[in-house]
Amino acid sequence: MADQEELAGLELAYQVEQFYNREARFMNQRQHRQWLETMVHQDIHYWLPINENRFAKDRRPEVTPEDGGIYDDNYGDLEFRISRLETGQVWMEDPPSRIRHLISNVEVYHTDDDKLLNVYSNFHVYRNRRQRDETNLIGGRVDLLVREGDSFKILKRRINLDMRVVLDKNLYFFM
Amino acid sequence: MVNVDNLIDLENGIQSKKVFWDQEVYDQEIERIFGRSWLFLTHESQIPEPGDFFTTYMGEDPIIVARQMDGSIKAFINSCTHRGNQVCHADSGNTRSFNCSYHGWSFGIDGELAMVPLEAEVYFNKLDKAAHRLPEVTQVDNYRGFIFGCFDAEAPPLQEWLGDMAWYMDSWADTGGGAELIGTPMKTILKCNWKVPSENFIGDGYHVGWTHSAALQMIGGPLSALSGNGELPPMDDVGAQITTRHGHGFGVIWELGHAIHRDPGDYIQFQQQTLPEVIEKKGEWRGKFYTGHWNSGLFPNCSFLYGTNTFKIWHPKGPHEIEVWTWTLVQKNMSPELKREIKKQAIQTFGTAGTLESDDGENMETCTRTNRGFQTRRGTMNSSMGMDGDGRHPELPGVLGASFIGETSYRGFYRFWSEIMKADSWADIHKNDETWIDNWLGKDAVSGMAARNIA
Repeated sequence: MADQEELAGLELAYQVEQFYNREARFMNQRQHRQWLETMVHQDIHYWLPINENRFAKDRRPEVTPEDGGIYDDNYGDLEFRISRLETGQVWMEDPPSRIRHLISNVEVYHTDDDKLLNVYSNFHVYRNRRQRDETNLIGGRVDLLVREGDSFKILKRRINLDMRVVLDKNLYFFM
Repeated sequence: MVNVDNLIDLENGIQSKKVFWDQEVYDQEIERIFGRSWLFLTHESQIPEPGDFFTTYMGEDPIIVARQMDGSIKAFINSCTHRGNQVCHADSGNTRSFNCSYHGWSFGIDGELAMVPLEAEVYFNKLDKAAHRLPEVTQVDNYRGFIFGCFDAEAPPLQEWLGDMAWYMDSWADTGGGAELIGTPMKTILKCNWKVPSENFIGDGYHVGWTHSAALQMIGGPLSALSGNGELPPMDDVGAQITTRHGHGFGVIWELGHAIHRDPGDYIQFQQQTLPEVIEKKGEWRGKFYTGHWNSGLFPNCSFLYGTNTFKIWHPKGPHEIEVWTWTLVQKNMSPELKREIKKQAIQTFGTAGTLESDDGENMETCTRTNRGFQTRRGTMNSSMGMDGDGRHPELPGVLGASFIGETSYRGFYRFWSEIMKADSWADIHKNDETWIDNWLGKDAVSGMAARNIA
């Protein structure tokens, strides 16, 4: 698919990369509400499907949004998660954990609609909690971004976490 | 052999912290509990067609559960009888055979050894193939679509193992078309002992208001008053705690089955539509249970939240780690749209990124990890809440506590844990079948709930 799409020019690709860097900084600094309000589209579908290990010959259809997922969130769902973090009563975040997002492999493509961009990227999320509790989660994202002035909003995000058994106690953070 | 009496004080509701840490306790659990109990394998809705299979564990043993050509279900050990290699690495699927990746031995969907490469040339046709089938799980049976397996031929039949717990579960497992599990399970890990979540789900109404304070506050609705234990409902009328013969038990909050869902309208409507059927088939009491919220456990390591539609198994991975598998539990007669909506809400609360799930994991890990300390491990844990209120109820089976927020089902879980850990065989356990309540609580113990006559 991506091969037939028109690659974005240098300036646009740079803007998207900076958009992702800013997003990562918001996450790392716990500015979740700022992220939601300035970077997320009201009609977002934020989706992290459940992986299953299947034989290569398995003929069942690929997972679709209809199957739900670990995240299957609209704007209100994301807002709910963020509000919970803001109550000050999430004991596992007190003292706060540390989190760092590294974003790479950003590919930006035009679509048939001038306002929409298809973007692929990879992430490495490092979490460090309590004294010596650490996890590393690596995956990819497929985004549909809406151009808004000089910036963008995330209209669709599909997150692919590259593991079957999630080697962490939860995924209550944004990727 | 571990001296179980040094670990469990039934009379005072006390457990040694060693039960969450010691390797020798764990080894004995694997042999005596996981080797002799009925363990949840899968739900028949997960393998509907002949040739469908699902892979899981019984204790730490890898297991294949497969739908046979005649529609029956068999389970066998997922390890080649030649050199022990795992023969199936897929989570689920449909197949005619399981082919070992080492030397190519091929086993049928029935576990029989069907084909051995170069059989004539290298074994000279002298290999006894019948003797090399994948070892079958000794007993496999089905309770209303939930498939269980047991490695002990002497264990009682599944229906007897579930006992009074099945009487309660029938209120929703035998109404509304029956229950089913939908989707592939989420899988995650927790560095905790398998009993920490098992005991939490079976009987911990106490933590709800505090551990989940933030989520309850945000969800709003009838449970939000519990947030931070701010405003407590009248404790004698809020629900019940129940434990049964083989350690299964639950806590129920009346009328609030739906309360952890953010948008429960369609679910409430389904319950109201089906409630007359439940009362007609199962009576008034089970109608009351049907619309309640249950935090529940099937001994040893299967837990579910009826109402929040979450079904879990905690696979032990040594004394200090588990794999958590989570499905969505629905009733078959729900519309596809309602099932989809419930699945979304159930995963949003108790899935891998759940708004309540993430509160629990941290507690469960450190309840285990602190016992690394020698002095810590010499200490004990307390589950004495509401002890004086445990006893019989004139109309309900099992042992009931005084209130929903109590630790009756904790005590019941460790009562049976202690019994099966000590017993040399099922014959020993059967000796207590008629007298377990008398021996535990005395002949005259009446549930605090019954004593207040709130029924």
